[in-house]
Amino acid sequence: MEILVLNGIVNGLVVGGVYALIGMSLTLLYGVLRVVNFAHGEMVIGGSFLAYVLFHMAGIPPLLALPIAAVTFFALGYVAYYLLIPRLSRSDDPESMSFLMMYGVSIALAALMLLLFEADSRSIDYTFTPISMKIGPVYVSTARIVALGVTIVVSAAVGLFLFATLPGKALRAAIMNREAIQIMGVDIVRLSAFAFALATGLAGITGVLVALVFPAFNAFSGPEYSIIGFIVIVLGGLGNPIGALLAGVLYGLVEQLATVFLPQALAQIVGFGLLVAVILFRNAGFARWRIGR
Amino acid sequence: MTAPAIDVQELVKRFGGLVALDGVTFAAAQGEVLGIIGVNGAGKTTLMNCICGIYRPDAGAIRLGGQDVTGWAPHDIAHRGVGRTFQVPRVFRRMSLIDNLLVPVLQHKVPDRALIEAAEAMLERMRLIDLRHNFAEELSGGQQKLLEMARMLMPDPQVVMLDEPFAGVHPTLCRFMIEQIEAMTAAHKTVLLISHDLTSIYRLSNRVLALNQGRVIADGGVDAIRGNPDVIEAYLGS
Amino acid sequence: MLATLLGGFVILYFACVPVLGGNLAFHFYLMLWITMASGFNVSSGFSGYMPFGYVAFYGVGAFTTAILVKKAGFPVLAALPISGLAGLVLALLFAPTLRLSGIYFAIVSLALAAICRLVITNMPEAITGGSFGLQLGSQAEPVLSFYVMMVVMLAALGTILWLSRSRLGKALRAVRDDAEAADMMGINITRVRLYGWLIAAFFPAVCGGVEAWYTNVVDTETAFNTLITAKTVIYAVAGGLGTVAGPIVGAIAMVWLDELIWRQFPLLNLLILGLATVLLVLFLPRGIVGTVLRWRPGWRRYVP
Repeated sequence: MEILVLNGIVNGLVVGGVYALIGMSLTLLYGVLRVVNFAHGEMVIGGSFLAYVLFHMAGIPPLLALPIAAVTFFALGYVAYYLLIPRLSRSDDPESMSFLMMYGVSIALAALMLLLFEADSRSIDYTFTPISMKIGPVYVSTARIVALGVTIVVSAAVGLFLFATLPGKALRAAIMNREAIQIMGVDIVRLSAFAFALATGLAGITGVLVALVFPAFNAFSGPEYSIIGFIVIVLGGLGNPIGALLAGVLYGLVEQLATVFLPQALAQIVGFGLLVAVILFRNAGFARWRIGR
Repeated sequence: MTAPAIDVQELVKRFGGLVALDGVTFAAAQGEVLGIIGVNGAGKTTLMNCICGIYRPDAGAIRLGGQDVTGWAPHDIAHRGVGRTFQVPRVFRRMSLIDNLLVPVLQHKVPDRALIEAAEAMLERMRLIDLRHNFAEELSGGQQKLLEMARMLMPDPQVVMLDEPFAGVHPTLCRFMIEQIEAMTAAHKTVLLISHDLTSIYRLSNRVLALNQGRVIADGGVDAIRGNPDVIEAYLGS
Repeated sequence: MLATLLGGFVILYFACVPVLGGNLAFHFYLMLWITMASGFNVSSGFSGYMPFGYVAFYGVGAFTTAILVKKAGFPVLAALPISGLAGLVLALLFAPTLRLSGIYFAIVSLALAAICRLVITNMPEAITGGSFGLQLGSQAEPVLSFYVMMVVMLAALGTILWLSRSRLGKALRAVRDDAEAADMMGINITRVRLYGWLIAAFFPAVCGGVEAWYTNVVDTETAFNTLITAKTVIYAVAGGLGTVAGPIVGAIAMVWLDELIWRQFPLLNLLILGLATVLLVLFLPRGIVGTVLRWRPGWRRYVP
């Protein structure tokens, strides 16, 4: 039992790290653009498929796939922003409409992946040597430890970027007050495009990690990760990257420990139930809570 | 001696650490126009929101015609005969003008036909009849203010509260609205009138209430307020 | 007058399909989607809630009918109203989410649909048939279920037409546009929202039951497929939310388009559906009917 719990904690940290990255990129996007990216899960899975293709077609190992995914998805995100977002602000109800549009994007992306890779679940047959490591009394696969390391490095880099560089500070300022920052002479469109690209780039990186950490993925895995992303950003406070980071790790821990004690399906229900409870419970004081942050 | 149309006692409203209303007391009789003045943040709109039931006061009491309505839900207070307009018009954007006017009388046990006729008569009076099938969002800002006033008057409320009715309104329309307010008092309605525009307040009001930092600093006739040093200080001082 | 004429034509058209040997499946699903999109419109167009987990009502309705018929030996026609009732019960359970708005409501709705699916998936196989689902077996009666679907559609359209003219409908629209202001105008917003929500939940639950009967099989994969929500949303938005005519026009246009695409490029179907949604939001956010009425505000009197 003790071993199982320890195992749950280690896996929780690994999985939680991935969730934290999903949450960070999703919350960045929401914070700056006020767009809830329904297609985030598909973008993540897109990263997984990219890693899959790179390894099985060109023999490029996942660690090298990371920078490639980051750059590719950053560029794709930049283009996608100008195609999708600027027109949106002209509609009556940008918030609902953005949700609806990204819903369409998620269907289209899932369909695209289905066309390219069919409905079968895929996994990358890459193995590290040694295949697993012993931490205290538990064995953990090297791939998961590597993934955890990458998560820490990436989230530290994002944190450093947000808090110690000028563009990062501009992003945080935009999250806090979109109107004010425009008066200060910041080009909000360029900044938003950058935020969108950054978030998709991060989603690409996360996708590679998903391929490392989870046994398999397929064209329809996306919504699962989107929902987890929603849970994380709601738990962490919308538009709060550091909150998302903590909430992601916390949620990963809870989920992995829950699977130790509960059957898989029940653990999932607990996760969704948690989301509903948090939103319902917190919403009472939501307006104040948002201003207060 | 009948109870005043509206009677507010020691009303307190806090937002976190900020005290928006700090023991406001006043009363207004039927048919009276009470002007409420004060600089931005003095608590004028908060006071209205408390009376409407949007905010639940932290302390104090609100009575309408002698009945305590403190803590009532907004729709129950509305049924008690309180109507209002807003500083920035809040019309039902994607509803026709007719439907906008019907909203406050939906629960009246009157045939639809009669309600629609009443709404059309009201639109006629407000000079909006030609636009009756348009959506409210298609109106200009001034027209939206008129629509709000028409909507407010539909259920024939006894107490009406007007929040900055003249803000951003051109002079012709302003004159028209003043006539409408005079018609309301002629119909024995109690009018609470918030405005920055002291000229129209002084012209229309029987009495003026001056608020500053959530407190009543003066309450009296127009002449008394005009010369009140506290009011002058609040408006012009530091 | 015009409505009666139009309604009569619709009844005649659909009634003739089985008699004249028309495409039964196509028209069955056309009616199903008209009903689903119209029901969704009560929530999204009239009340301002976007239930992205709309499929929950459909799935629960489908399983209610299947379980009642298969396990409890109910006649189908007795089971269908109970499916509707199950939708109402579910709506009551979800009612606390009505105090959320915008994105929060959408996300919670999505999560609740996922919970419904997981709960039913994990119920004992003896009740829900597990991953094989439930076969209704000898109950199949395509023509009769077709006509029942027609009755359900007409009931839905009749209800929504009534709603759009009723005081409840006006109250709902006022709450959608500005809930706080509506409250101050004397509208009990909690009650009005609940009524709208119940109407929106009833019809998809019945649809789920009728479809289970028509196809003769129910399983969690298809009954809770997110594509059901996706299609409902897209069809309703394509026509234009907030009008009675919008979802009908949208469903007819899109089901027809879907059928064409499906025949020509079966693999691209889903991709085109997704892209169509994006294009709709970007270029026709008010939908077909909404855009026309924007150009011709005077027509609002004649188009409910």
